[in-house]
Amino acid sequence: MNIGSIAMGAGFLLVLIGLWGILTRTHIIQIIVSFSVVDTGVHLIMVAAGYMHQRTAPIISEGLAASDAPSLVVDPLPQALVLTAIVIGLGVTALMLAFALRIHEKNDTLEIKNIERLRW
Amino acid sequence: MVAMFNPIYFVVAGLAAAFLLTLFHNRERLSYFIMIIALSLMMLISLAHLASFLAGTGEIVQVFTAGFAPPFSINFQMGPPEALLTAIVSLVGLLSGIYLSEQLRKTGAYAQAVYIVLVMGMNAMILTRDLFNLFVFLEIVSIATVGILFLSRSRTSVNTGFTYMVASGLISVVLLIGIVFAYMNAGSLNIDTLSESLVMAGRGGSIAVLLITLAFLLELKPFPANGWGIDLYTSAPGALSALISAGGMSATYYALAKVLPVGQWSHDSLVAAVGGITFIASQIIALKQDDSRRLLGYSSIGQIGLLLVVLGFSEALGDRRDFIAAGLLITHALSKSILFYISDMVQDDSLRGWAALRRKPVLLVLFGVAAFALIGFPPFPSFFAKWDLILLLNGGTEGYYLLSAMVLAGSLIEAVYLFRWFSYALKLPHEDLPELASPTSRLIAPVTAALVLAGASWYVSTLVSGFSQSFLIPVAFILLVAVIDRLPAWSKNVISIAGVSLYIADLYPRIAGDLMTMIFAGIFLVGAVLTLLSGFYYKGRRAGFYPMALTMFAGLAALIEAATILEFFWGWELMAIGSYFLLIRGKKSMPHGLSYLLFSIGGSYSILYGFSLAAAGAGGVIAMSSLVGISVMPALAYSLMLLGFLTKTASIGVHIWLPGAHGEAVADIHFMASAILLKAGVFGLITVLLAMGSEAGYTRWILLALGWIGVLSALLGNISAAFQESAKRLLAWSSIGQLGYIVWGLASMSHLGWLIALGYSVTHFLYKGILFLAIGGIALKIGTPYMYKMGGLIKRMPYSFFAVLIAIITLSGVPPLVGFSAKWITYNLIISEQLYYQGFVILIAGIIAFLYLFRMIYTVFLGQLKDNLRSVGEISIWFRIPMYLLLIVILVLSFLPNTLLRPIGDMLSGIFPEEAIVWTGSRGVTSLGYFDGAMIMYVIVGIFVILTILFLLLRKQTQKVKQFNIFYSGEAPSRPELSHFSYNFFAHYRKAVGALALPLVTGFWDRVTEIIHAVSDFIRRIYTGNGQTYLFHIVLYVVVVFLVQSGGYR
Repeated sequence: MNIGSIAMGAGFLLVLIGLWGILTRTHIIQIIVSFSVVDTGVHLIMVAAGYMHQRTAPIISEGLAASDAPSLVVDPLPQALVLTAIVIGLGVTALMLAFALRIHEKNDTLEIKNIERLRW
Repeated sequence: MVAMFNPIYFVVAGLAAAFLLTLFHNRERLSYFIMIIALSLMMLISLAHLASFLAGTGEIVQVFTAGFAPPFSINFQMGPPEALLTAIVSLVGLLSGIYLSEQLRKTGAYAQAVYIVLVMGMNAMILTRDLFNLFVFLEIVSIATVGILFLSRSRTSVNTGFTYMVASGLISVVLLIGIVFAYMNAGSLNIDTLSESLVMAGRGGSIAVLLITLAFLLELKPFPANGWGIDLYTSAPGALSALISAGGMSATYYALAKVLPVGQWSHDSLVAAVGGITFIASQIIALKQDDSRRLLGYSSIGQIGLLLVVLGFSEALGDRRDFIAAGLLITHALSKSILFYISDMVQDDSLRGWAALRRKPVLLVLFGVAAFALIGFPPFPSFFAKWDLILLLNGGTEGYYLLSAMVLAGSLIEAVYLFRWFSYALKLPHEDLPELASPTSRLIAPVTAALVLAGASWYVSTLVSGFSQSFLIPVAFILLVAVIDRLPAWSKNVISIAGVSLYIADLYPRIAGDLMTMIFAGIFLVGAVLTLLSGFYYKGRRAGFYPMALTMFAGLAALIEAATILEFFWGWELMAIGSYFLLIRGKKSMPHGLSYLLFSIGGSYSILYGFSLAAAGAGGVIAMSSLVGISVMPALAYSLMLLGFLTKTASIGVHIWLPGAHGEAVADIHFMASAILLKAGVFGLITVLLAMGSEAGYTRWILLALGWIGVLSALLGNISAAFQESAKRLLAWSSIGQLGYIVWGLASMSHLGWLIALGYSVTHFLYKGILFLAIGGIALKIGTPYMYKMGGLIKRMPYSFFAVLIAIITLSGVPPLVGFSAKWITYNLIISEQLYYQGFVILIAGIIAFLYLFRMIYTVFLGQLKDNLRSVGEISIWFRIPMYLLLIVILVLSFLPNTLLRPIGDMLSGIFPEEAIVWTGSRGVTSLGYFDGAMIMYVIVGIFVILTILFLLLRKQTQKVKQFNIFYSGEAPSRPELSHFSYNFFAHYRKAVGALALPLVTGFWDRVTEIIHAVSDFIRRIYTGNGQTYLFHIVLYVVVVFLVQSGGYR
């Protein structure tokens, strides 16, 4: 089993753990933490998707001529994507935390069960 | 020129403005100005492209970023769909921005920056051709959406905003995994490259595409995993909901449309199924909803469901798919925005709170426009879109009959709740409701949206084949009359009469010689002039009456002129709109107007379905001739069309709307509705029966059923008429009975039967016209329609009495008036066609007609004059003029029945060559005997003269009794009407046959309503309000759909 598969498996495991957290924890901060775990899992999956066995980092330097790069480096695109995804994830998490603050301000609780609901 | 408007400027303008705004965060006037400039720029770009595409000069523009061609860079594409969608998004973005000016200025530059980014993100989602870029902009849109909620600081929006964020976070996880797997499989993120790559149709690629598809489906909030989205609609400010519903949904929908080809359309059935379920379920749930925003949320989601059905059936819809989707999307976006804007102005969130709109009629008009547009009434784009959709679903090589029926059923349910709501706004009391928050600046957005909708309607109608532009001329005239609605009624009356007369003069040469058309054109249009003539009685403005009356007449005229079934359907729907507004004008008419409209819509969907089968049989041809010899399920097609038209003739079973709707209508409207409007149903029946013929085997059963429907309508209509206390309701029930005769006559498919039907169509118009004007005029004059409050009016209203007397003699079919000739032909028909069972019932019904007619003339005009009516005068001269015009025609036709029946007979000989009546002068001969109208008239007049002379001779022996020459036995009854002789007049008959008049049918429809509402209440319990439950729904939805859909690969 190569490191790519392990990373992929770990990524999915993290997603599942995070999902479990989102669905079972009732404290809003814990839900946000669980969401971050899911996010991390996805990032891991993305990086694993770009990994190729026994290849090196996609940085063209003295030891790696640009002409040889296609056969020696891993696919750089997923790594670029994961950077964007991490940035978006950061923004989302920050906004969620801001919501948590305001929910506490408005409802005096962080238990998702106890905040005022709209229904039907 | 268009090159100036590079699509990349959407992003440039958005981001630049957003950054700039943060610099001016303490100068909210300036920053708001910058925001509006940026939004206007976006709209300008999209409009420039849209205009060039519409003019046919446009070219698809590709923009490459970073100096590389795709797939090595991200590219934007601006083609016709992108131009249209970005135009919608930018327009609603700008309008909502203007609407929200106060809030946005108050919350400051940061909120404005977020708002711009939101609109930019939606536009970019539409333009981009790169999967990952699509993900980025989707994230931007959802973060910006909740960002604005966050800044709005209300408690419910903060609470729902959080759930929304986590939900959209989960969805983007699904999307991201899908995108990465797509890249792993095909090595590209470019949508066009992926679509060409066959790898994506393989197992790994297919799962990737499934995940991506699923993510976009979830973003569109499919039932039942959509609680998080509905809460957003409920809690967000109305104008923001407008942007989310119109802009966000359009963008996401188009994103889904872009990624479906990536999987070689392997998931189109999934999309269609998700859409269909969402459409039906949302409409059912909305039925029980009382919060206006939430209702709009359900309705929005339902509309998206319908659009998903369109997308999923891309293959079946072929090159019409884009037309259908665009028509539905434009209508949905603009009319939902209008409704959301209004919801923001109405301070009471319940549906009943919308009655406050009556204080601002312009908002009420906008509400009506939006409601009718959403349901797909003409002239809106959704009308043509829905027509095409149903025709193509039923018309392909494999017909999707069940699906098209479900689409219509869902639309009907949508019509139920939208129009119930609209009738609340029209009729419920509004004195206790809070003020509207509607400064003029807030009207800009909804009014502009409505104007754009009108423009789009006009443009779309030019794209439709089989629809002549000339049908828009009456619509333009109606708009003109609507514009001058502030003038007094008489001036609008003159203009309307002039308009209708001009139309008749124009129409006449085109239809001269075609007697069948002439008869109905006469009833519809000469009737129009007569009813409008009686409208002179009205002093004042009569707001909104004339546009609506003319809409009805324009619809009726379109029926006459229609050359294609599309034009016929156009006329039919137009008529329904106009008549609905006329009928709901009465004081207590709210429930009746609504039930009329719902039966109308149900009927017209039934007709539409029948038409679509006809077109399917004719290979898509929609000329009127396609109704002849339908080859696809002909029995069903003809039955459905007949059923649809029977709703308008108010035949038994689908009649329950009529007594209330007509009974509450004002005099001249009652005339229009009963004497004229019902004949549209007859015209429809004739059209269908002529096309159907009676040769095919199935026609026997259809005609048998139709015959019995007619007979029972005659019997039950007449019985119920006899038991009414209100004179207007009595006449309403009597119309049901009379129309029953016509239906029965048509169903016999024989020369004599049709002679009866056409003869009745004309004579019913004449005598019912008189009765409605007279009785309606009296009810108007004395302020009540109840017969026990009338009596002895013969002395006060002799002209009315005489006219009514003549009318009821005609109606009852006794000699010497023209009604007798109809009766005589009826007996001939019963004997010659051996219709003994039906004939027996018809005879009984005829006898019962005497009862109610006697009751009416006796209790209204004879008997004792009431104290309060002692000084009442004759009814308005404007009622008497048309009454006596009709009366003259009756007398001429009575004396010379051949003037009417002979030409009709000659015409019918072309259709039914058998046993015609042979006319010599006024004498008609059949195989059974003869009949001479003039001779009968002489005999009767002779007898009358002799009796009068006898009476005058014996007069001395009579004693005149004064009105108060009676005694009361010293008691004053507590409820005086109970002891009045004309109250419960036929109590003894009621004991015997009253059970037949029991509202069995009404009970049936009530039960249907109850069951559907109970289902609605049951389903909506899944929306518990707990955010975590909603998240669980999403996860479960992904798992279930994934298992179901990927099961197919094994």
